Amino acid sequence: MLLEVKNLVKEFGGVVANADISLGLERGKIFGLIGPNGAGKTTLFNCIAGYYKPTRGNIFFEGKDITGWPAHRVTKVGIARTFQSMKIMPNLTVEENVMVGAFCRISNRLVARRDAQEILKLLNLAEEANVLPTELPIATQKRIELARALATRPKLLMLDEIAAGLNPLEIKEIVQTLLRIKEERGLTLFLTEHVMEFIMTISEVVTVMAAGRKIAEGSPEEVAREEKVVEAYLGERYAKGKSD
Amino acid sequence: MELATQLIAYGILMGLVFALIALGLSLIFGVMNIVNFAHGEFMMVGMYVAFIISSYFHLDPLISLPFAAAIGYLLGVVSYHFLIHHILRGPMVAQLFGTFGLMLFLRYLAMFIFTPDVRSIKQGILVGKTLSIGWLTIDVSKGVSGGLCLLSFALVYWIIHRTKLGRALRATSIDAEAARYMGIDTKKMNALAWGIGGATVALAGALLAHYYYITPTIGMLFTIIAFATVALGGFGSIVGAFLAGLMIGLIMVLSGQYVSELKFTFIYILYFLVVVFRPRGLFGW
Amino acid sequence: MRQVLKDIFSFEDRPRFERIGFVVFILIILVFPWMVHSAYGRVVMIKFLLFALFGLGWNLIGGYGGQVDLGQAKNVGFGAYATALMMFWWNTPFWVTVPIGMIVAAAESFGVAYPMFRLKGHYFAIATLCVALVWKELFVFWDWTGGARGVELTIRPTPDFTYMQFGSPIYYHYFIFLLFITQLLFMNWFRKSKLGYELQAVRDNEDAAASLGINVYRTKVITYTITGGLGAVGGSFMTVYYLYIDPDFVMPLDLSILIAMTVMVGGAGSLWGPIIGAAILIPLDMYLGAWLGAGKRLGIDFMVYAVIMMVIAAREPRGIWGIIERLRKKG
Repeated sequence: MLLEVKNLVKEFGGVVANADISLGLERGKIFGLIGPNGAGKTTLFNCIAGYYKPTRGNIFFEGKDITGWPAHRVTKVGIARTFQSMKIMPNLTVEENVMVGAFCRISNRLVARRDAQEILKLLNLAEEANVLPTELPIATQKRIELARALATRPKLLMLDEIAAGLNPLEIKEIVQTLLRIKEERGLTLFLTEHVMEFIMTISEVVTVMAAGRKIAEGSPEEVAREEKVVEAYLGERYAKGKSD
Repeated sequence: MELATQLIAYGILMGLVFALIALGLSLIFGVMNIVNFAHGEFMMVGMYVAFIISSYFHLDPLISLPFAAAIGYLLGVVSYHFLIHHILRGPMVAQLFGTFGLMLFLRYLAMFIFTPDVRSIKQGILVGKTLSIGWLTIDVSKGVSGGLCLLSFALVYWIIHRTKLGRALRATSIDAEAARYMGIDTKKMNALAWGIGGATVALAGALLAHYYYITPTIGMLFTIIAFATVALGGFGSIVGAFLAGLMIGLIMVLSGQYVSELKFTFIYILYFLVVVFRPRGLFGW
Repeated sequence: MRQVLKDIFSFEDRPRFERIGFVVFILIILVFPWMVHSAYGRVVMIKFLLFALFGLGWNLIGGYGGQVDLGQAKNVGFGAYATALMMFWWNTPFWVTVPIGMIVAAAESFGVAYPMFRLKGHYFAIATLCVALVWKELFVFWDWTGGARGVELTIRPTPDFTYMQFGSPIYYHYFIFLLFITQLLFMNWFRKSKLGYELQAVRDNEDAAASLGINVYRTKVITYTITGGLGAVGGSFMTVYYLYIDPDFVMPLDLSILIAMTVMVGGAGSLWGPIIGAAILIPLDMYLGAWLGAGKRLGIDFMVYAVIMMVIAAREPRGIWGIIERLRKKG
């Protein structure tokens, strides 16, 4: 197991966002975490990545207990992430954004820059290297976040709603890119999404969350048949239809 | 024992003034999440209003109270429209420097008009008189100031919690966007918060001027006192500001009695300790 | 090692107009004392270089770090007092007192940074202000620092390169220029260093920085410590230039504000910002001080500053350098 989450609980002043979650991620696979809005997916990501301290429970990475470690230490052991609401450094150029990621493992500036340039090429961003990221479209900014996370040379890459806000063509592109870099770099991927279509096509194992609990786990086909899952999603669609 | 009672009485009276000073800062922070560095300068303006009424017009400084409040209100509203409104959406650094600029402007405007000389008010019904109750002797000016501050505080509290206007103000402070959807003119509410903030703090200044020295640079000290008070009471909490004001008054009077040169140092250190170790204030969770 | 040297002295990554401007600027400063013979002009120039020096140091935490520190005057004070007191007590040579002043300032900054960086934004800014005010009050209160009376240096036969006392302002001109250029080259290295980039990442987005393995807290503490050390250098210069210091002169709030403002006006977080800011504010200050602020009516200078500050805050938070960059992109 690369990552193991054991009986994780996260409460916010009495509100339970994650209740007793247990997961195991095998090396080299693609895991999907799905669930309706507010299911607690991002909370779980934040607990693993060190942005929240879990109320109870443990997180192990390569057998090491990393529960409650601060975010920067979690990155150093080999877990990188992207954010649901993008967090790009607006005053640094695209190349510098990625370079800062490369500094995680490399102290020499010139080596870090070369590394950044390589990753930019890998993600078809070489032309935008010297542009400020705020001037670029959302889809490109998402690729920059991805590039930046890759630059930290992770073993596990956690992507929080990377497809949100993208059109079908852009989604297809990012799926291909993800599959390619996963192979080239021997990564394990962990994705969240509340759009089923994207995650079902790419994931090998899918975990479903609803209202802070894990309600199902298995291959995409298995999960799609589970009644609880259908219910959770129908419930959301119904609610959506009403508020729209 | 006598000295201790005396000091405690003065501490509480001073604390009432501090509470009124902190009220505006807390209100403004609560409504629009911006901190006014010029707060103490608004107070200084109130002090000079009292000084002008007393020294140039030879009237009783008590008469200055409505003028001070009105000028403070105007100052608040004008600052909001000409400056604060434009920096609200900017980065935090810009917000900080914006109100900091306002502070410098008022401070040095006062220095330009009144010179850096230290002034005080020498004549007035309240000035220089004492009142003895048993073995407790109190300066009338301090007693009346404390009482009027308490009254003003209660009035503002009533406006915020019991009137329709106050409800709109509170709605804006809880969620400005939602308030806007409900038809509340949030820009007006922001301006109102600045107006009330300016009026209360200038009023406190006019009262304080009855027994405290007046200089153009006095504002900074009271800004920090107000910050410490608001931090201690929990940012945005009005009741908290009241209790914290009393505490700070006591601390300042008591420490001033024993190590007089460093009494402000205690306030600075107190602010530091509170925000570092109790960022939500003593009364917050 | 060669890489470090190259990073210090190379401005290659900057656009051409900046490099040309920089060379012209350096040349002007080098020939200035031979072109301008008015004592007043020379004083303005020295003060400009001094505040450009202060600005360069503050730009580290305030510009590249985005942390509004309103207490840099305390570090100036540490430098000034280290030099003054050590010369006064033990006749310590100037060049020995400088590093000691820097170490004292850096150590103090490190000590207070530890609790202080639990704070952000306004809370942090006010805390820095409080710390600086406490130090100033202590320096007034203590006897061993000379209290409010301050410290006066013994006058020595000039020129004296051990105690850096000179009869002619030309010496001081090149002396402060040397300190200034050293700090500028340090900043040139810093902005390209790993720490420099990490600091900018922290300024732009702390969560993102942490996700890239950057220890946000430690980065801020280190930067604040270095900023403290840099601030002390100008203080040491002030001691030997003015030959007399007291707390109101070397560590007042106004000094902290002026330093921060120099950088904000010029353009925080850019290499040239502090220099541009000082080039505008210092001559303005001297002009206003001489013509309008004559006699007891002080304050016009700061009123003008205040207006500039409010306009910059409302219209262009990136300062004059921000305007230049914008014009260049359009043009």
